[in-house]
Amino acid sequence: MPELDELETRLVGLTETDIQRGLEVFRSKLKAAEASYLNSCVHCGLCADSCHYHRMDSTLENIPAHKLELISSVFKRNFTAMGRIAPGLVGAKPFNREMAKAWVDAVFGRCSLCGRCSVNCTIGIALPRIFRAARAALGTMGLVPTDLQATVDNSLKHGNNMAVTKDDWVETVQWIEEELQTETGDPGAKIPLDKQGAKVLFTVNPREPKFFPLSLLASAKVFWAAREDWTLASDNGWDLTNYGLFNCNDEQAGAITQNLVDAMERLGCQTLVIGECGHGYGAARWEGPEWLRKSYPFEVKSILELMDEYLRAGRIRLDSSKNPIPVTLHDPCNLVRHGGICEAQRRVLRQAVDSFIEMTPNREHNFCCGGGGGQLAMARYKQRRIRSGGMKAKQIRESGAKIVVAPCHNCIDQLMELNKEYKLNVQIKTVAEMVADALVLDA
Amino acid sequence: MTTLHLGVLLAIAWAVLTMTFLHLKAKSYGIRKLYSKPAGDPAKGVVYAFTLGMAPWAKESVMMNLPSYGAGLAFHAGVLTALGLLPVAAFRLELPSFVLFSVRLFTLAGVVGGFVLLMKRLVNPQLRGLSCPDDFVSNILGSTFALLAFAWTLSPVAEVPWMAEAMLLLIYAPLGKIRHCLFFFTTRYHLGAFFGRRGTFPPGGRFHA
Ligand code: SF4
Ligand code: SF4
Repeated sequence: MPELDELETRLVGLTETDIQRGLEVFRSKLKAAEASYLNSCVHCGLCADSCHYHRMDSTLENIPAHKLELISSVFKRNFTAMGRIAPGLVGAKPFNREMAKAWVDAVFGRCSLCGRCSVNCTIGIALPRIFRAARAALGTMGLVPTDLQATVDNSLKHGNNMAVTKDDWVETVQWIEEELQTETGDPGAKIPLDKQGAKVLFTVNPREPKFFPLSLLASAKVFWAAREDWTLASDNGWDLTNYGLFNCNDEQAGAITQNLVDAMERLGCQTLVIGECGHGYGAARWEGPEWLRKSYPFEVKSILELMDEYLRAGRIRLDSSKNPIPVTLHDPCNLVRHGGICEAQRRVLRQAVDSFIEMTPNREHNFCCGGGGGQLAMARYKQRRIRSGGMKAKQIRESGAKIVVAPCHNCIDQLMELNKEYKLNVQIKTVAEMVADALVLDA
Repeated sequence: MTTLHLGVLLAIAWAVLTMTFLHLKAKSYGIRKLYSKPAGDPAKGVVYAFTLGMAPWAKESVMMNLPSYGAGLAFHAGVLTALGLLPVAAFRLELPSFVLFSVRLFTLAGVVGGFVLLMKRLVNPQLRGLSCPDDFVSNILGSTFALLAFAWTLSPVAEVPWMAEAMLLLIYAPLGKIRHCLFFFTTRYHLGAFFGRRGTFPPGGRFHA
């Protein structure tokens, strides 16, 4: 595993200055909330089974509190009086090469930042906030796994995380537009590119033009049916993903967010609509303004909210009998628990399909699919990712549904792997795909 | 009020002052200025975090660990009851018999709860792995405090060791994990505000379907 060697090499090469810089960055990420979290854990261990890693592999290293303890022990040693006076008593430990290695393993290798432990913690510690501070510190020490960093670098360099060229993107959009015209029977059906003053700027995950063009086609069909005034950007500003959320380098994350802000300004749109992507929504809607340290002069919505609005306003009509196969819904952590969008997708699906079965648990209690937190971009942790996804596989199987709807392309990738690995024999679709299939088109 | 009582009073003053210092220290890290538009009401999230969000049925972790949760509740009830008993001892107050019965029940439950948690920490390898000496010291101090309070309700002979133990507990409280008696509130506040702002709390769903 060359990646392992590379990371190991960087660990071995760490200097005292690197370690001090890491500590400084870690400290700079802490505010009153985090200081409180780091003083709170009582080591009750009740959070253990809230984590899908621990549920599928019950080792000490997978307990959320253990991951937290690795970080709080360093906090205590460096930033508290008791940690300096009696480190052995309160479990305070120095930050050194060994500890940095343990941090990498814990916060990159055993955590998808899903936040399920937060809602289950006896005290109420929002653990991912601490893990994010640790990731940022490791980043400054050059310890972000190379492939995760490469995804961020792609976005910074090419304006999208898969290095899709402008020509390829535009060509794909034009091809999907032709498909849209065929499917709707409307030769005037358009997928507008760079339409000045359009109401909605729609953004997608680069996996859509690359591997899942039908997803983009489905969204376009819904916009067409709703007679939406929308556009895509032909250049920077069409990719909704932001892996800066996962390498936790706020500067890089902010630069990626700026692409969206610039596109909104360039095109004079009113609403930035984020396609079906959990982390993309979290990054653009919640973290983006914090990274940029300014409020947006426009609104940000998920396409799920928009479809919900269309249905409520009667702008689209659905015939659920067109989707007769039982459907269950996966709740992406960044969209639901951390994003606050819990009901819109349910209201939409209930009208789009004949039989909607909730997974158990669901909403803010959902289990991560295992692919979040940048896990899909870190090849070295693939085995753990697939294993931890076993909880999601179990949920899917127990639902008895034959279609899993996942409003997130990252989750879809992971679910497709789980489908194969755990022989689930299900189809995996987006909400827009279900809606597009159920659309009642005017004659 | 005896010298012993005065000692306890001083220990209380120490605990309050150092806890206040810890609180101010944590606050000095600064409040994050937020720029994203809220989707929900942080205040409602905080209210939820301190009410229904703490209900056993709102947390899978509790439902999966009901005996531990019960032991924890009993332990805390015992320690708090013993704390409440300190002024009773200091001012030689008479307790009505039903109150005295409740006090005995709670303090004894606290001892049992503390003992169960201590055993669990010793026996369960994962919990042992999570623990540091402070976890054991804190538990033993709390359990002994509840035990001596219980003993005092039976015989005034226990007063001297109980008061001495109270001093130890109060002096140690801000130094180790017992500080969670402060940080529990600030942490839950921040959690509630975070999820409230994002519109996740108060929730519409349950972990069971
Ligand atoms: S955030 Fe999710 S993956 Fe990370 S420790 Fe908590 S439950 Fe586990
Ligand atoms: S539930 Fe919370 S307080 Fe208990 S061990 Fe886990 S993180 Fe710590």
